[in-house]
Amino acid sequence: MNLDDYRSVFMAADLVLILLAAVPTLSLTAPFPSGEPFSELWVLGPNHMIEEYPFNVQVNESYSVFVGVGNHLGRASYYVIHVKFRNQTQPLPNVTISEPSPLSGLLEYRFFVANGGTWETPISFGFLELSRQDDSLSVSRMSINEAVLNLNASTSWDSVYDGFFFQLFFELWLYDTRQESFEFQNRFAGIWLNMTA
Amino acid sequence: MNKVSLLKFSMVLLMLLACLPLVVPTSVAQVSEGDAASAIADAENVIISAYEVILEAERAGANASVLLDRLNEAEGFLTRARIAYSMGNFDEAASLADSGKNIGEEVKGAGVDLKDLSLAQSLQNMWVTAIGSFGSAVLILLGSFWVWRVFKRRYFRQVLKMKPEAATYES
Repeated sequence: MNLDDYRSVFMAADLVLILLAAVPTLSLTAPFPSGEPFSELWVLGPNHMIEEYPFNVQVNESYSVFVGVGNHLGRASYYVIHVKFRNQTQPLPNVTISEPSPLSGLLEYRFFVANGGTWETPISFGFLELSRQDDSLSVSRMSINEAVLNLNASTSWDSVYDGFFFQLFFELWLYDTRQESFEFQNRFAGIWLNMTA
Repeated sequence: MNKVSLLKFSMVLLMLLACLPLVVPTSVAQVSEGDAASAIADAENVIISAYEVILEAERAGANASVLLDRLNEAEGFLTRARIAYSMGNFDEAASLADSGKNIGEEVKGAGVDLKDLSLAQSLQNMWVTAIGSFGSAVLILLGSFWVWRVFKRRYFRQVLKMKPEAATYES
């Protein structure tokens, strides 16, 4: 190696060291890319496990589940969960086109979750008034936590699975500061209920 | 005579009692459905603006998790207010919405303070970091220049020490 070669090595080493010294300042002006932001929604059974979900339900009995949300959006987020109730023929949200279910919500839960944080709440529900006529069953009153709700939901006898079935489901919406409104997050979860008994 | 004055006194008292709701209308009157709805809407707006302030504080580098907890308390009141409203308890709904709104306003004020503090701290941190980086770069350059001079001197000394040697060629 001659002197010019040594000079090149010295200059390259200098450049590397100067770049290392500049990393803290560069990270302030150009933050490192993070992973893909997302929100999670879950429904757990009464024992906080993914089992023993209420299924065979009766009038004037109370049942419980836990509903939770995880925030991985990289900022504090303002969510709303719409609690909805449907029979087998009514539409669910369409995740392909990010459309929520057109059914109106029975109740909503609004809450804030810090980045990386979770939120969870117990939901107790029960059915207060049911009426049956031949092969159809109607629900006119139900309770969710402390709220008593009047509704008009009915279902027909399912001859394939032998029962009257409803679904209680939860849609996750997020507050968009630019739109100044809540937007559906394409996340929903629910439980099926057999009201035959 | 006494009866007449007693009658007059009673009439005046009755008139005063009749006028009482006009003097203190809010304390006695029940909250209407519209008032309760507007109290809930007001509280929602305050909570949303408090959230926006928190987002700004986070962008400035603040940890606003305590304020988010307070905002969730406000939301708790608002949820109960909505339930009370749906059940027709407008008095309770308005009162709960006001409680939520008060917490929201408190959070909004604290959020603005936190944002200002974080901005000042971020600016200070940025200056310290930039000066640190610049100082380090200058030190690296000076140190490297000194090492290079020492290295060059030794290199030339070694070259000058070298003596030409005659190599024997054997065929």
